[in-house]
Amino acid sequence: MFIMVFLAKRLAQGTLIVVLVAFVIFTLLRVVPGDPVRLMAGGMAPETLIEQIATEMGLRDPIPVQFGRYIASVAQGDLGQSFMRPASGAAVGGASFDDMTRSERARVLDLIAEAAPKTLQLALLAMVFALIVAVPIGVAGGLHPGRWPDRMALYLGSVFVSLPNFWLGIVLALLLSVKLGWLPAIGYRGFAYTVLPAIVLAVEMAPFIIRTLTVSVAQIMRQSFIDIARIRGLSRLQIIVRHALKNASVPLLNLLGVQFSMLLGGVLVVEFIFDYPGLGLLTINAVLQRDFPLIQGIAIVTSAAFVLINIAVDLATTAIDPRLEY
Amino acid sequence: MISRRNFLSASALACGALATARIDPDFFFTSARAQSNRPITFLSAENITGNWDPTAHTTLSQTTIQGFVMGYLARAPMRPEDPGEMVMELATSIEQLDPHRLEIRLREDITFHDGKPFRAEDVKATFEYGSQPDRPAQWYPGSNETFEVTTPDDYTVIVDTSKGGYGAHLFIFLAAYLPIMSASDISGGPRGPLSQRLNGTGPFRFVEQRGNSTVMEAFPDYYKGHPTVEGVTFSFVGDATTRMLSLMNGQADIIERLEPEQFATLEGRDDIKLSRLVSVENKYLWFRCSKPPFDDWRVRRAACHAIDRTVIDEILGTAGEPSSNFISPIKFGYSDLANYPEYDPEECQRLLAEAGYPNGEGLPDLEYITSTGFYPKTRDYGEIITMLLREQGFPVTLNVMEVAAWNERLYDRPGGGPGHMIDCGWSTGSPEPDLVLRTHFHSSSKRICGIEDAEIDAALDRERNAATLEERRELLQTDLLPMLADKAPALSLFTSVMIHGMRAEMDGLFIYPDGLTDASKAVFST
Repeated sequence: MFIMVFLAKRLAQGTLIVVLVAFVIFTLLRVVPGDPVRLMAGGMAPETLIEQIATEMGLRDPIPVQFGRYIASVAQGDLGQSFMRPASGAAVGGASFDDMTRSERARVLDLIAEAAPKTLQLALLAMVFALIVAVPIGVAGGLHPGRWPDRMALYLGSVFVSLPNFWLGIVLALLLSVKLGWLPAIGYRGFAYTVLPAIVLAVEMAPFIIRTLTVSVAQIMRQSFIDIARIRGLSRLQIIVRHALKNASVPLLNLLGVQFSMLLGGVLVVEFIFDYPGLGLLTINAVLQRDFPLIQGIAIVTSAAFVLINIAVDLATTAIDPRLEY
Repeated sequence: MISRRNFLSASALACGALATARIDPDFFFTSARAQSNRPITFLSAENITGNWDPTAHTTLSQTTIQGFVMGYLARAPMRPEDPGEMVMELATSIEQLDPHRLEIRLREDITFHDGKPFRAEDVKATFEYGSQPDRPAQWYPGSNETFEVTTPDDYTVIVDTSKGGYGAHLFIFLAAYLPIMSASDISGGPRGPLSQRLNGTGPFRFVEQRGNSTVMEAFPDYYKGHPTVEGVTFSFVGDATTRMLSLMNGQADIIERLEPEQFATLEGRDDIKLSRLVSVENKYLWFRCSKPPFDDWRVRRAACHAIDRTVIDEILGTAGEPSSNFISPIKFGYSDLANYPEYDPEECQRLLAEAGYPNGEGLPDLEYITSTGFYPKTRDYGEIITMLLREQGFPVTLNVMEVAAWNERLYDRPGGGPGHMIDCGWSTGSPEPDLVLRTHFHSSSKRICGIEDAEIDAALDRERNAATLEERRELLQTDLLPMLADKAPALSLFTSVMIHGMRAEMDGLFIYPDGLTDASKAVFST
């Protein structure tokens, strides 16, 4: 029964967070410069027509009224239609004002459904790469505090965290794609196109994992139950794997949950540099085009993902350590 | 009994099943680079509009796509050595019968991509549809009420401009700019097939819009012969560095709008070729002429004299050419204007004092709007212009905006467009000068500057109504253009240079100065 109460409570909290995020995004979009109607209608459109279209679309109503209308549609599973994009999904600019013939607009949900799996794939691969690199370094650092593995973990983490992702992306593309021809760099035509951006994201994530593991493993190894395990006759490997790592995985899981959520919503720069057609690139184009419904849709989906991932992380951590209650 | 562990296990399994279905299983990619006839990958700096009707937009990237798919009566190579040269394509000849009548004779061996034979009815329908007053791309010298098109036979078209009172020769240069549509498509109206896909007589057939990529394939019945390459994939990639990296690693075959630094980076590479062409695009500093203080020509002219354009030329490097006219050197009627405003602080101060603003005193705060992300170096030279204007007493603030916000503020509106000055270029792929001059400086159009000046209107009408091309050239060079230099509704800062980068193994491309590309004879050497 606990699980049901827990889920109901967390989902209710999550819904509130998503609605709040949606409201903030909704309001901000309407106060920043750049009238979407002028972009839709074309720069040459007369003011009267701009006002007519805006009124017809309800864009001149008070913001709370607009938001109420919007959230009611969202509650029915309708994120609306893109202001700009046709059903083909192309990133488009405005046509002229009296052009009522533009192709049918794309549904926001369809655009997100098309882009999200690619970002999910990128985020998962980035996380795998980051864990492959960071876990051995972080664990070694934690097992040998003050000695060279610890110092190496610190120095490597410092180097990784100092590399700007846009710079690293360009350098890696030049090296691995242009010079060596090992990997494709731009766009998406298969899984191989995910590798290079995933490496860049992994380098960005790895320092946090290294630091978390180094600190938590070092702390756990000083606990009395570790000493008792030695007295019980367990080997060092058994102690590390069955006790130290298991306990260290709780803070690591929390960190990974936050990192993964950020990857889903915030891989803007990396996707833009690699022209990777995921949620990040979709977001950038939507912002540049003042495509309000699309920006709002992406914000709602990513904040909902953030909430769900955190619920999953909490569940996972309680499964690992039953002493934890949420 | 549901426990946390059971719930977690079940959730993980469900997520795994969902992810397996959604994550792209295509774990490998194949390179087609070795094939000699593989499709060309073209990366564009600009997005498209979502409506395929050629008369529904003025977007350069979409015009470039049309260049692959559509046919034109003639093409204008617009090289500086012969700006007025016309090469016949769908037409075999374009002759002026008298000042108001033009005869166009057509080729007889051409079909549209949908199989319909190309005939005079298609030219007639294209002209009559494209010149309707409600079409967004207003390219014609007058509406469909001002001229008449007749078709004595299937392969002859007569254009009669008697009703409009202007010369029929205005259609000559336009012939190189107007994509010819099928009469059957046009009969479906603006909501018909025209808006859904491109159907032309060009070397490549429109296949589909796949996300940000327009996919075209070779048209086997192209009248000049089956194109060698299989097709063209035209993709929008917003970031200039990304486009360059794609070219360098071979994922792209051709990219456009290289920055000057990129030109320098790529110049020494054996695997890359560069094309640098003086374009049809001039970049302008537009004054909002319908509101103070730039409703006074003396203030506009004073601002022009405050700007040292040689500094801008230095900043632009390979991306610009000096300009002393309102049209590009490859437009019909170009000449270096003797009275074009040069950097002259003393003259600037004299004019300011004469207008009632000695040393700039009394001028309101002025907003200068520019964009970043599309045109090269706009922020850099915008800062220089701001500094130079401030030196002479203009209280200018530069407002740099990303493209969408700038675009929203670009055009004139009742009471004057936003700000007091705005940066923008204008590019039209024809030697026809009125595509720039009439569009911007006639009071019936005044797209950006908002000028309403009866003398300029009269000068524009005089050159339009000239009986012959020679007379028109004379009127442009001695009447209209010097008058514009005096009244300065805008200052043309420089002529853009169109820089393309392409893979060295690709040959046979012909690039026009507006970016249109003829790839019908393109080949890849293996």
